[in-house]
Amino acid sequence: MNIENFELIYKDNRVIIENKPKIKEKLSKIVGNANVSDNEIDIMAYNKDTTLLAFNWTLEGKLTALPDFIVWPETPEQISSILKLANEEGIPVIPFSEGSGAVGGAIAIYGGIILDMKKFNKILEINDKDLTVTVEAGTNGMNLERYLNAKGYTGGHIPQSLYTSSVGGWIAHRAAGQFSSKYGKIEDIVMGMELVLPQGDIIKFKTIARASTGPQLDKLFIGNEGTLGIVTKATLKIWPFPEKRALISYAFTTFEDSLEATRQILRQQIYPAVIRIYDADETYRHFGHIENAKNKVMVVFVCEGVKKLVDLEAIITRETCEKNNGIDCGEEPVNHWFETRFRVTETSFAPTLKMVADTIEIGFLWDNAANMYHSVLETTKKVKGVIMMTAHISHFYPNGIGFYFTFAGIPPEEKTDLEFYQEVWNTVVKVVEDAGGSFSHHHGVGITRSHWMPVEWGKAFETLKSIKKLLDPNNILNPGKIYESPWDEGMES
Amino acid sequence: MGEILKKYKWMGPIIDAMDRDVKRLFMKNFRMRDKNFFPEGEYKADIKNLVNCMLCPNMCRFDCGTLQAEQKETMSPAYKARIGYYLTIGKIDPSKEENKAFIDLMYKCSNEESCKIWCPFEFSVVSLLETVRDDLNDKGLMPDYCKEQIDKLKKTNTIEDHNIYETYKEKGIENIETDGNDEVYYYIGCESMKFPEVVKANIELLKKAGVRFSTNLETKVCCGGPAFNIRDLETAKDFANRNKDLIEKTGANVVVSDCPGCVVTLTSRYQKAGIEIGTKVIHIVEYIKQLIDEGKLKFEKNVSDEFSKITIHDPCLIARNLNDTTSIRAILNKIPGLEISEPMYNKDSVHCCGWSGTAHWADRSLAIKEAKNRVNELKETGSNVFLSACPLCELGLAYGLSEGDKENIKIIDIAELLIKAL
Repeated sequence: MNIENFELIYKDNRVIIENKPKIKEKLSKIVGNANVSDNEIDIMAYNKDTTLLAFNWTLEGKLTALPDFIVWPETPEQISSILKLANEEGIPVIPFSEGSGAVGGAIAIYGGIILDMKKFNKILEINDKDLTVTVEAGTNGMNLERYLNAKGYTGGHIPQSLYTSSVGGWIAHRAAGQFSSKYGKIEDIVMGMELVLPQGDIIKFKTIARASTGPQLDKLFIGNEGTLGIVTKATLKIWPFPEKRALISYAFTTFEDSLEATRQILRQQIYPAVIRIYDADETYRHFGHIENAKNKVMVVFVCEGVKKLVDLEAIITRETCEKNNGIDCGEEPVNHWFETRFRVTETSFAPTLKMVADTIEIGFLWDNAANMYHSVLETTKKVKGVIMMTAHISHFYPNGIGFYFTFAGIPPEEKTDLEFYQEVWNTVVKVVEDAGGSFSHHHGVGITRSHWMPVEWGKAFETLKSIKKLLDPNNILNPGKIYESPWDEGMES
Repeated sequence: MGEILKKYKWMGPIIDAMDRDVKRLFMKNFRMRDKNFFPEGEYKADIKNLVNCMLCPNMCRFDCGTLQAEQKETMSPAYKARIGYYLTIGKIDPSKEENKAFIDLMYKCSNEESCKIWCPFEFSVVSLLETVRDDLNDKGLMPDYCKEQIDKLKKTNTIEDHNIYETYKEKGIENIETDGNDEVYYYIGCESMKFPEVVKANIELLKKAGVRFSTNLETKVCCGGPAFNIRDLETAKDFANRNKDLIEKTGANVVVSDCPGCVVTLTSRYQKAGIEIGTKVIHIVEYIKQLIDEGKLKFEKNVSDEFSKITIHDPCLIARNLNDTTSIRAILNKIPGLEISEPMYNKDSVHCCGWSGTAHWADRSLAIKEAKNRVNELKETGSNVFLSACPLCELGLAYGLSEGDKENIKIIDIAELLIKAL
């Protein structure tokens, strides 16, 4: 056994499966022998997701979590049978697809069955008139977008994880893409769904532009993080591939000016597909080569769509930036962003320096946003070991924004990586929650954020827990996430 | 070190602003960076890039042929690198019988290198896996299916269980031995010998163009490509030296091969092994294009209806390794009335046929799944004639055909089409 050579991070409260060969046999009967494994080489491959701390553990030869079985179902009916079996036997089932989640949502912290959705990878139908694509939930984002582009469309949902995420993952974690100011977030994009409930029922939400047929139950499953159901198929909005793109960038002397300019743009109902504000530190990091941006705050815009509309959006965007003291930096910063937005190297670099890093994307209303930004920075930088705390704003609404903080630090010798990580997170979340913000804009809750759920939701959290209990009375679908926290001890630090 | 400092220049002010204690720890970690995570002793594995790859969020996963074929996380590029790292540092003991599956994973790659297009570090995963194979070989842990290939090379001088070049007579292939004064050495790949019609067509084309060439099938040996894949460099170099002698004996100005794998091996792989072939080596599509440009080859006839609508499957070695996606198209555009369709993944974005690299030895069913994926992509064009320019592609694609497909779909080499239009 090799696994004994690896320290296991999540090792408490593991489910005890008394007769593993019997369970394996039953799973094989459902999905076939080739689609079940309890081999070391397979279960080790599913030990982590893209939680940044897990990269440090990987380098140190640790396993984040360890499932007992991996299954690769091919039909909703097979998923249904697996869930029924799991309910009978009391075994956790954890949906997995591409493993790009940043909060541990697809990790088998108590062991159990990882249900990998990769074989649900067919793009079923494009309807040009309705502007929809129907796709199986395990389909990789980039493979979907490339397919749509080849047919003359875009899905408009382009998260930084596009290459490494799936449609089902987007829906599960209520994702948001970089072009979302124009095309919307995943909850705006999903039009219909098929999913399997925790006890095995297969349900469908019909594809319709809008309906008034009672509460909008389908929205309950967007952001359920694989705890209330497993999405198997979805119909998504698509758009004709943009005829024109305008690339615009402005540098601002103060963070406040940049916020004001973008707020005014949205107030005029101008929705550039991409808007990104980088604070001065991130401007130096990403746009250090742009002379006009020295010691300034860079804002990049991409307006896209029909030519006439793009031209008008570009004019209003420019005018508004200039009115707010913006300095035109031309197309180069936007081209640079396009070239580098998927070139992720930091995850490979930071762990080799024993550096602990993460991103904290929070939701906030416009009013008081600048003060909140300064407070988060000031407070977090006081945490011992923090060496960097910077931010950009990646998502914009007429009423508010999505901040994206990035921290890095060297844990002090008296603290473990996890303790240091939790201390930073607690510090940020306290400032954000005290000021009325939300602790996650688009990465979700997973393991790493679940202990803040009572603070975030207040009394409504009890309602949410009741819904979970109703749908999943045996708590077999993705336990240890959202409703409960394996990190309670960490909260004390 | 200099490279890192340049890339992370933005960290300068951050380091300056650190508290003394934190800075001390940071600098210690920076100095110990290699020591902390690099194994002791001698090894050939490219640890630095294995670590870069294993800690990447798998940015190339959507274009990895084996992962897309198997649809299992186990086949993901970053996981392969991770296992390579653990095998090298001994966290997974490669010498234990129970760990054979982990060793096998180091060979489950079809060398298509589409990962390189998306890699933030600009390497291909196979280039890392090969360095892990080096260490495995040094420890005497070469898998049996690789040993079998090496044995075949040594016994038959080809990658087949018999010397496939000796079959030329029974296959009706004309052999032209060199007089030492050739214009061209038509270098026939071992796998090409499985497709005698292709070899015959190439000979016909060269003759039609009036090229003075030889084939030297009596003395011909494999280029050594399989040994390079397996990383038995001793055997590979032996073949390289034998080929160097054979090529020099022809006096040819240019070596023209029908196998892209041979071209890559005779050029960049020999070069990396320190063996220089003085003669220019190119794939035959590049040479045919040249002959057309010089007016030595003309295609005036329409091909029959059966072959009048084709879809191109670019061999990944020609498209991504030899960086030539124009020759095939330039040639086909000279055939009157030919309807050419392009699959969605074409040119340098082409997906592999499954039959390159070591995957088809390590896990034949995996390679067949990859081939099936590619066949399905080609079928989407609606054309029933798949055209390629590589014997491995033609072999792989054939494995990807279902029983129903076999009745409707033809897989042909470009040369077979060209002679129909002469």
